[in-house]
Amino acid sequence: MSLAEPAALPVATSAAARPDVLKRLIVRFKASLPAYLLLLPSLVFLALFTYGAMGRVLVDALYQRATPKAPVRFVGLDNISAVLADPAFTGAVINNLIYAVGTAVPSIGLALLFALALSRTHAVNSALRAALFLPVLIPMVAASALFLFIFLPNVGLLDYYIGRLLPVLPNWLGDPDIALYAIMIITIWKNAGYYMLFFLAGLQAVPEDVMEAAHLDGAGPYQRLRHIILPELKPTFLFVTVIAILNAVTQVDHVFVMTQGGPSNSTNLVLFYIYQQAVEHYDIGKASAATLLTLAALMGLTALSFRTMANREGGP
Amino acid sequence: MLFSRRLMLGLAMAGTMAGALAFPALAGEGPTEVDLFFPVPVDGKLARDMGALIKEFNETHSGVKATAVYTGSYDDTLIKTRAAIKAGKPPAAVIMSANFLLDMQIENELTNLDALIKADGSTKEQFLGQFFPALQGNAVISRSVYGVPFHNSTPLLYINADKAKEAGLDPSKPPQTWAELTDWAKKLTKRDGDKVTQWGIAIPCAYDYCGWMMETLTMSNGGRYYNEEFGGEVYYDTPSMLGALTWWNDLIYKHKVHTPGATPGPAVSTSFISGNAAMMMLSTGSLTYVRDNAKFAYKVAFIPRNVRNAVPIGGASLIMPAGLEADKQKAAWTLIKWMTSPEKSGWWSRATGYFAPNMAAYKTPEMVDFLNKNPDAKTAVEQLDVAKPWFATYKTVPVRKNLEDEVMLVLNGKKQPKEALAAAQKAADETLKPYNAETSLKLP
Repeated sequence: MSLAEPAALPVATSAAARPDVLKRLIVRFKASLPAYLLLLPSLVFLALFTYGAMGRVLVDALYQRATPKAPVRFVGLDNISAVLADPAFTGAVINNLIYAVGTAVPSIGLALLFALALSRTHAVNSALRAALFLPVLIPMVAASALFLFIFLPNVGLLDYYIGRLLPVLPNWLGDPDIALYAIMIITIWKNAGYYMLFFLAGLQAVPEDVMEAAHLDGAGPYQRLRHIILPELKPTFLFVTVIAILNAVTQVDHVFVMTQGGPSNSTNLVLFYIYQQAVEHYDIGKASAATLLTLAALMGLTALSFRTMANREGGP
Repeated sequence: MLFSRRLMLGLAMAGTMAGALAFPALAGEGPTEVDLFFPVPVDGKLARDMGALIKEFNETHSGVKATAVYTGSYDDTLIKTRAAIKAGKPPAAVIMSANFLLDMQIENELTNLDALIKADGSTKEQFLGQFFPALQGNAVISRSVYGVPFHNSTPLLYINADKAKEAGLDPSKPPQTWAELTDWAKKLTKRDGDKVTQWGIAIPCAYDYCGWMMETLTMSNGGRYYNEEFGGEVYYDTPSMLGALTWWNDLIYKHKVHTPGATPGPAVSTSFISGNAAMMMLSTGSLTYVRDNAKFAYKVAFIPRNVRNAVPIGGASLIMPAGLEADKQKAAWTLIKWMTSPEKSGWWSRATGYFAPNMAAYKTPEMVDFLNKNPDAKTAVEQLDVAKPWFATYKTVPVRKNLEDEVMLVLNGKKQPKEALAAAQKAADETLKPYNAETSLKLP
């Protein structure tokens, strides 16, 4: 079919072009009809539960009521500027940035380390991999409930052991200077094993012959890592980084269970801020506006990472 | 042509059948079906108890078929109720945290119960008269009844009696004033050099609990947390609250008998159970937990006073969302009255540890027997004489959080009480502004 097209085009005169194009469109549509029909159920559900909800958020973000009894009215971008002016929101964004960097870097570093150490498959390594992967299998809510007791001031597991060494016991979740880092520890503990899987898969793709050649040429372990393994793992790094940053924005179960954003908003993350606006303040307009801003940031990030990936594939 | 006619016929038949399925009420007279949303703030056992309660109701009431729907925590229950109201399918009755009622009434989300009380041939005074007076403040808004108290609590002082005796204190004469409590806490704190191995007292501070404890301390210092008559005012920047927060701050940084930082409720009770804290202030709702887990003799007492004995209530009320059909309203009202009757109220109290809001419940033989066996449960009921309503304002949760965020800074040694309370007042006034704009500041 594609071969016939270029031949047909120069022949068609301007008068006959229209029915011809129409006909071709119909033929093409008929040919792909089964495909559309097969896609229809998922399209319906996507429209209902994803795009519908997003459209609703977009509409809700434009409306606000002045006083509790007043009707909602169109306010344009007022909600967005109100969110941007809210110190709680900027605080949540800053917390989220610290949280994203502070969880992505250590968990990716640990994941790479684990993957390098356990890349060869034998019984001991399989057992160790399983052990490192275990936290991934525990639901975040359950893990948070567990850590709640590990972090208990004075009587928790952590204070029980560290307490012998320190003069003053830290109140892990009750001190605004420490709480965010305590939350970060759980995220790293939980995600490192997951990212390790990607690196293990990435390591399988490192060409065996290149490694052998390097070995024969007298390249040491460090040189092999620096000049062969790491460059080969670049796409994996990119992918895992995107996943890690998405996780940093979309995972707030532990904030919900352990701190509710406190003390004094020190562990408030963007998604939890949205929850607070919608539920505690019952301010749908502001919650929707904050959702839109978050969505825009995430979409921008995803687009950027896809472009980088595409560039890489197209380039040398 | 034929095809399409058959199709139409088929569609019409399917439509009729679907209609018959969707509207069974039109097809025949069945019991009125009502949903009851209920939260479980303590533990999973309550869900089973609720199932038993509703089963008994359905067996004794043929005209109504009630279904208990578990809806998570108090906050989750509010979210789910609001979502159901927005979707046009409100549940017929909800067990709602008592301090959310005012906010819901302001948002026009509650059914006024006055007409239903009147239809029973009763008066508001007679109806409310069944319940402890302290509970009425959170059920009545603008002189109309919007909620029926279901299970309630007050804060208590829990004392590790063994440790008190060890320190030469008499647990049968618990501290009654802040001065005595400070003295007890000092004697009960054990130090190993600079390090504290046993704290004198623990007071919880996490979102929700922190506000409740601040109201407790402020009240026993003679103050009020909010304007009980009007939802647009809170009294954060006042001498009584300043005294309360300064004392709490002093327990940490001057007397060094309270662990620094904000400690959530579960951490406080674990600390008490493990013997790390010799005294704690916590809800009566934790009494069953302490009774089951403490491996030492304990004692409960009133919250000590600085100026007067006064505590806030906590707990939940039964409400009906707005926008219910008349038959559902009637059915839900039957359910609510049954659940808050003396007998059922007492049964629920014994199962959960909350106290029964219906005063007559304490005259039932089962309850008299239970209190003889568990005299500590009596203290909570006796303290009700000095109890007052739980703070409830326009946007209760954010207004409370305005205070809690500042209190947490003080407990962590990052701010002084005076400046913290001034900041809290400013933030709360800002949150309350829209409501004041259409009430107190809407002038002719």
